[in-house]
Amino acid sequence: MDPVIARVLIESGVKIALFFFVVMTVVANMSWVERRVSAWIQDRQGPNRVGPLGLLQPLADGVKFLFKEEVAPPHVYLPVYLLAPMLIFVPALVTFAVVPIGPTLSLFGHRIALQIADVDNGILVVLAFSSMGVYGVALAGWSSNNKYSLMGGLRSSAQLISYELAIGIAIIGVLMTTGSLRLSDVVAHQIDHGWNILYQLPGFLVFLTAAFAETNRLPFDLPEAETELVAGYHTEYSGMRFLMFYMAEYANMVTASALVVTLYLGGYHVPGLARLGLSEIAAAIIQVLAFCAKVGFFLFVYVWVRWTIPRFRYDQLMNLGWKGLLPIGLANILWVSFLVLMRAN
Amino acid sequence: MVLLLGLIGLIAVFAAVRSLLPARSIPAGIAVGAIATVLVALNLRELVSLEFWSWIIGFVAIMSAVMVVIHPNPMVSVLFLIMNLFCIALFFLILNAQFLAVIQVIIYAGAIMVLFVFVVMLLNIRLEEGLRIGGGPMRSGAIALGAVFAALMFHAIRNRGEAPYFDPGGYDAGFGTAREIGRLLFTRYQFAFESASILLIAAMIGAVVLAKRRLR
Repeated sequence: MDPVIARVLIESGVKIALFFFVVMTVVANMSWVERRVSAWIQDRQGPNRVGPLGLLQPLADGVKFLFKEEVAPPHVYLPVYLLAPMLIFVPALVTFAVVPIGPTLSLFGHRIALQIADVDNGILVVLAFSSMGVYGVALAGWSSNNKYSLMGGLRSSAQLISYELAIGIAIIGVLMTTGSLRLSDVVAHQIDHGWNILYQLPGFLVFLTAAFAETNRLPFDLPEAETELVAGYHTEYSGMRFLMFYMAEYANMVTASALVVTLYLGGYHVPGLARLGLSEIAAAIIQVLAFCAKVGFFLFVYVWVRWTIPRFRYDQLMNLGWKGLLPIGLANILWVSFLVLMRAN
Repeated sequence: MVLLLGLIGLIAVFAAVRSLLPARSIPAGIAVGAIATVLVALNLRELVSLEFWSWIIGFVAIMSAVMVVIHPNPMVSVLFLIMNLFCIALFFLILNAQFLAVIQVIIYAGAIMVLFVFVVMLLNIRLEEGLRIGGGPMRSGAIALGAVFAALMFHAIRNRGEAPYFDPGGYDAGFGTAREIGRLLFTRYQFAFESASILLIAAMIGAVVLAKRRLR
């Protein structure tokens, strides 16, 4: 085989394996984070018995789910029922492939970007796969052959589509200042000109709110706890399949946090690091850790908001999406156009 | 070519076994999988050739299009249509129209097909009992159209040119990127772009008016 192709395949393979492993580990431990942080907010202890500080709790939960009986009710439409959890999981992980987690390194004599796929339209790939994420929820609701699931799935799809629009409008603001669709260019632009959150705060807030809605997290929790006693679109799922939904939600959270950090908080940039004059590898390690810290902060914000704000009603949710976020996003575009003109002069 | 024909043959064999001897599906599946793995391992060079993947994507596109029409469950038909649209997007990528490929996924497979899914979910469409062809005129019409289509394909394949499969030279470096398409849309095709946006706004207003409750 051509040595260039072999090198590309090996490099991509290693990156994919690494990214996948790290994301799945974070997803698995998010349940521990959620339970401990929510306990702290509610002035109680969380799980602290299984292992030091309760850190082995996710492992215990995983074993529990493994041994649970997987009841697939006879009235579900089996092919789509089995497919639906994967359709939620896969887009979240694939979107993470275009996120840059660190600067370009020179390892083994080659320039290696710490990004699986630096495609020319990285931002559009993100939008494309968040559109695909709608199908998992809608199909889970439909295939369960259950009125509550169907309504939960429909409402969730409507919510996801409405807030996709808000995400797109906020992304246009970032696009206008960057002038390119590549996510590595977005980060490079922020390194040169300052983080986007400083210039586009309304856009950042719109994107953050819409990201909450896109991941079906409280306060936009309607599809999951919609009828309060029946669990919405994942009612008929039990055991490992329910675990898939659970983990898919956390994977979506990780991806959304990574996107917020990349688009608005400068990705892996650490202000003032260049002046320290460290070696390339040390600087890269510090920047990757900075990226992880920023993503971790937003994961904490996700959990924090969940246990602070009550759930929106469906009409309040739609009002916020269409009559609230959309005008703010458009105003943000006007403001950013003004900024771009000022900068060009 | 060996890998391609081998994989398609294996899929055909597996489909045949599943429909004729359903009890032997699992051992047949395992055998097919093993032979496929061996074939791939022996022909690794083909996996990195664009021609191979073009054929595979074409095959999946055609099979999913056929399944859209054949499958009795409307929701599964919608899913096969989504698979088909993904294959079309991949073809756009092969032809270097990268912006179009992603837009195809975002808009067609990601928004329009969601509306299809809504409609199928809400309409409670009864499952048909498989593909049935209707009576006299419909049957003869279908056969005639099929014959015309076959003749067209035969003629097209027999008279294809000897152009190379993938011509790497002769296009601009920025072809197909968002930048070039945006530049064209705002300079040469400005009028068409603006009229299309007016058309979309008119359609949106019409939809809102049609769906709105009566103003009291």
